[in-house]
Amino acid sequence: MSITVVGVNHRTAPLDVRERFAHAPHEVSASLARVLSAGAEGGVLLSTCNRTEFYLSAAQEAAPAAVTALLADRLGTGQPADAYTYTQRDRAAVRHLYRVSAGLDSMILGESQIQGQVRDAWEQSRAQAGPVLHRLFQSALLVGSRVRSETGLGHGAASAPSAAVELAGKIFGTLNGKSALILGAGDTAELAATCLRAEGVQVTLVANRSIDRARAVAERHGAAALTLDEAWEQFATVDIVLCSTAAPHSVVTWAHVAGPIGRRGGRQLCILDLAVPRDVDAAVGQLENVFLYDVDDLQAVAAHGAAQRRAEIPKAEDIVEQEVATFWTWHDALAVVPVIKEFRSRLDALRAAELERALKHLAHLSSEDRAQIERFSHSLLNKFLHEPTRALKEAAEHGRGYALLEAVRRLFGFGGGGTDA
Amino acid sequence: MLSNLHLIALALYAVAAALALEAFARGRSVPRPLALAVPSAGVAFHVAGVAQLALVGVAPALSMLALFLVLLQLVSERVFHASAVALFTAPLATGLVGLALLLGLAPGAEPPLGGNAWLISHITLSVLGLALLALAFIAAALYLLQFRALKAKRFGPIFLSLPPLERLDSLNRSALVAGFPALTAGVLLAVGYALRFAGGIHVDKAQVVWGLFTWVVVGAAVWLRVVRHWAGRRAAFASIAAFAAVLLVYLALKLSAPGGGAERFL
Repeated sequence: MSITVVGVNHRTAPLDVRERFAHAPHEVSASLARVLSAGAEGGVLLSTCNRTEFYLSAAQEAAPAAVTALLADRLGTGQPADAYTYTQRDRAAVRHLYRVSAGLDSMILGESQIQGQVRDAWEQSRAQAGPVLHRLFQSALLVGSRVRSETGLGHGAASAPSAAVELAGKIFGTLNGKSALILGAGDTAELAATCLRAEGVQVTLVANRSIDRARAVAERHGAAALTLDEAWEQFATVDIVLCSTAAPHSVVTWAHVAGPIGRRGGRQLCILDLAVPRDVDAAVGQLENVFLYDVDDLQAVAAHGAAQRRAEIPKAEDIVEQEVATFWTWHDALAVVPVIKEFRSRLDALRAAELERALKHLAHLSSEDRAQIERFSHSLLNKFLHEPTRALKEAAEHGRGYALLEAVRRLFGFGGGGTDA
Repeated sequence: MLSNLHLIALALYAVAAALALEAFARGRSVPRPLALAVPSAGVAFHVAGVAQLALVGVAPALSMLALFLVLLQLVSERVFHASAVALFTAPLATGLVGLALLLGLAPGAEPPLGGNAWLISHITLSVLGLALLALAFIAAALYLLQFRALKAKRFGPIFLSLPPLERLDSLNRSALVAGFPALTAGVLLAVGYALRFAGGIHVDKAQVVWGLFTWVVVGAAVWLRVVRHWAGRRAAFASIAAFAAVLLVYLALKLSAPGGGAERFL
């Protein structure tokens, strides 16, 4: 039974194209049904902001074409989607999913979010996945966990927002329940606020030169709005200050922070200055218990983390290869089952027919004698079949199943149904 | 048998120390299962060894101190996720067990004056108090290292492998707060033992001075943290000063003791 993946990702398609291909959870079932109707036994759709991939089991030739047709429809330009898609089959498809789950194929190497997305995709497609993809996705999640626990691929921050989270985490431990003040109401400030909220930080205050813009952002995050002048006193209470105003000069000076910091009772204050030019005067970082980081610092942390992660790629790839081999052994063994069943059922039918013919000429025998002859025929057949069955199973477990299956098919004149060696 | 159990514990502690140092050099933490399993195995052998010891004397006290340090290392890892504590405790425990073996460990016997339970309780609680003071010192030292790395924006092995500041501060506070009652009970049991079984306090004066000095110093450190609400860098400096003072007074008293040679430090 073949495994095929047809998809697009951040390497093959630009963001505006990926956005059109991305599926909301409620769209997954209908899209899968459309592709499966073109000829496939099972399917799982993995759709994130960086990839849209259809995993198909026992896909006939029309199924990959159905995927590209579906994507072309979503593109809505009348152009084919083939230019953006890639197709991988069998071992390569398994390897691809394992690499995706491990974070090896992610835009940010080793990021862990993808594992949750793989799990979500599997759960959303569970009814249409079928046994092979069910097993494949289950094992993909295990591969992801193994890579993360046995290598340093997920260690350290590898992007500026995750660097900000890591730096704050090195001060406070858990960020859950910590409070944050956001200075600025632009896109960067809002994006950073969203990142902090994802880590459990409570964005309690948003301050901006224009109070109306501050109110708009504050409303979206359930925070209170302030003007900049009202914000300085809050340095005494919040744990994290995130600065991203569009001011052409420093808006937070030593004098703004020095007073409130004395009223913090020795608690640390983390200031993340994401603005260019910087919002916070560098002298603020000299204050006791104030930890000030700017964009360069975040990038330095991210670069360090990314370099560390790259060094772990060979180890992670080794794990992926081991697991591909394990899965494929299981897959090969699976392919043997229907052949063994057919092999046994054909020979059993032959046995039954010959037995019936023989017993017609032995009408004088008692019912006990007839039963004894029937038991003998079963026993003889089982003895004949024992060795070939064992050999087929063993060959499948060692990855040599297909060659032997082909020999059995030819020798006994079976059809090709059930496997696609 | 006694030495063999200690030797196995020593080997496992040495492995734990090597793992901690290797992880630190690479800017990582030791994987949690390893960080717990290796010292736990060492503790199992060590407990079996200590159970057969006469706890009176320097070598058994060193062995017990090593055992408590590793137990506290495991608690720090489990409760505070502070595997970096092993950077100090694992090599220290390895050295202490090695020293105890060199000095010679002998199977247990009833103390000549009786009151075995009192004496064992006194020694156990006092050594536990000292181990907790050492843990407070380790947490404080790690705090200052991490503080310096964060302030100086050095994102190397210290930044990567040491726990967050708040966690280290919390570990320091917990160690001091737990250490003081242990030391207090140890002192009270010593007095009780002396009065009940020894007919008065006849032990070495220096030993009494050092014991009481340690109790006062730890008490002062706890007072600063709990009553005066010291935290962060100030509290870390106080813990380091307390540990240094206890160590220096021990050395001073031993140097001023009669006799010569390295033996007087034991």
